[in-house]
Amino acid sequence: MGRHIDLRDGAGLVSAGPVSAGPAGDPPGRSGRPAGAVRDGTAERVLDAALACVARVGVTKTTLDDVARAAGCSRATVYRHFPGKQPLLAAAVAREGDRLAAAAVAAARDAATLADAAVAVLQAGARGLAGHDALGYVLAVEPEVVLPYVSFDGGSALLAEAAARLAPAFVRFVDAQHALRLAEWLVRIGISYLCSPEGDELFDDARVRALVEDFVVPGLVRPAPSREVVPS
Amino acid sequence: MVTVNMADPLGVRARLLEATYTCVARYGMAKTTVEDVVKVSGVSRATIYRHFPGGRDELLRETVAWELGRYFSQLGDHVRDAPDLAELLRRGLQFARRSLREHEVLRKILDTEPDRLLPLLSTESTRTLPFIASFLMPYLHREEAAGRLRPGVDVERAADYLARAVLSLIASPGRWDLEDPDQLAVLVRDELLGGICT
Repeated sequence: MGRHIDLRDGAGLVSAGPVSAGPAGDPPGRSGRPAGAVRDGTAERVLDAALACVARVGVTKTTLDDVARAAGCSRATVYRHFPGKQPLLAAAVAREGDRLAAAAVAAARDAATLADAAVAVLQAGARGLAGHDALGYVLAVEPEVVLPYVSFDGGSALLAEAAARLAPAFVRFVDAQHALRLAEWLVRIGISYLCSPEGDELFDDARVRALVEDFVVPGLVRPAPSREVVPS
Repeated sequence: MVTVNMADPLGVRARLLEATYTCVARYGMAKTTVEDVVKVSGVSRATIYRHFPGGRDELLRETVAWELGRYFSQLGDHVRDAPDLAELLRRGLQFARRSLREHEVLRKILDTEPDRLLPLLSTESTRTLPFIASFLMPYLHREEAAGRLRPGVDVERAADYLARAVLSLIASPGRWDLEDPDQLAVLVRDELLGGICT
């Protein structure tokens, strides 16, 4: 029975994703990327162009021609890097997820306590999402494109992946198991606020701190891994 | 308890919602038409538009809200007599998850036309959260009266926090198996009630 949370287990759940997270302590956002998969400047430019197009006309109306034009390259070049719109968008989402998680973990670098780290991660995550032009357009105009990835089974996969990426922010304070649980819980609470009319509360320092200190952290500050049954 | 709505004494509205639900179960959301609802309900097109001036879109939207209400009222009935808040949450999460998993119409629509259903569910969540929170309030007050709340806990904020947690877990359990009583006990004690109960 004694299954324990292990960051590697958490990553295993998202094997369908393009990048799986490595064990705690790896540089966030880069861990797990296969060697040799580092993109060249053109591919990065194409991804930037794709996000700019989505921010302007949305996912549905963005074409590879638009992306090529915005990137200042040929359609064939886009295709050489990303064989179609779907792979292109998937790569863009993966890269943005990497960046967002890396920024959130970095924001917690100097945190003095677990609560400070949780506040930093929640705020950095919320600000990163709210300030994301492409995501903002999609949520406002074509939410049906993104909702399958944040609710029901898609939500579960996202939670597992996001938790594995964010857990490194907490391993200085708690064991890996609790770091992962806290990370998942913060993502849940963050999504709940961002998807509700009270989303702005995540941009109010005092409210975020109260939320984290009053409700989120108390149950998850434990000195050692518990031997209880938790998800594997 | 059945209440008679004097504006709609024959319960036409409920019949139409039920009929729309039947159509959605049969044909899916995209293919359900007002004509289908006429056939299944036996209510005329004109009457349907009197009750639902927005036509098909309004019927579908209200049917989702109605089914959601039914789901949560079943959930409420299942947990109502729980002896304390922790037990209420454990029972509720387990039951909610199981009945969602066994909800064939929901599973089918989520598989085949999530793009139509999810925006409606997402809009509804603005009504669902306060509903769950107000359901939890008396149980939080009872914990308070029994001296089991941590000092300084604001009951209203706690109810809102728990409602968010519950709704999130029901829809996406993530790595938690809500049908495993051992996991459920840990989750409710730490993540949900860690800052609320002693």
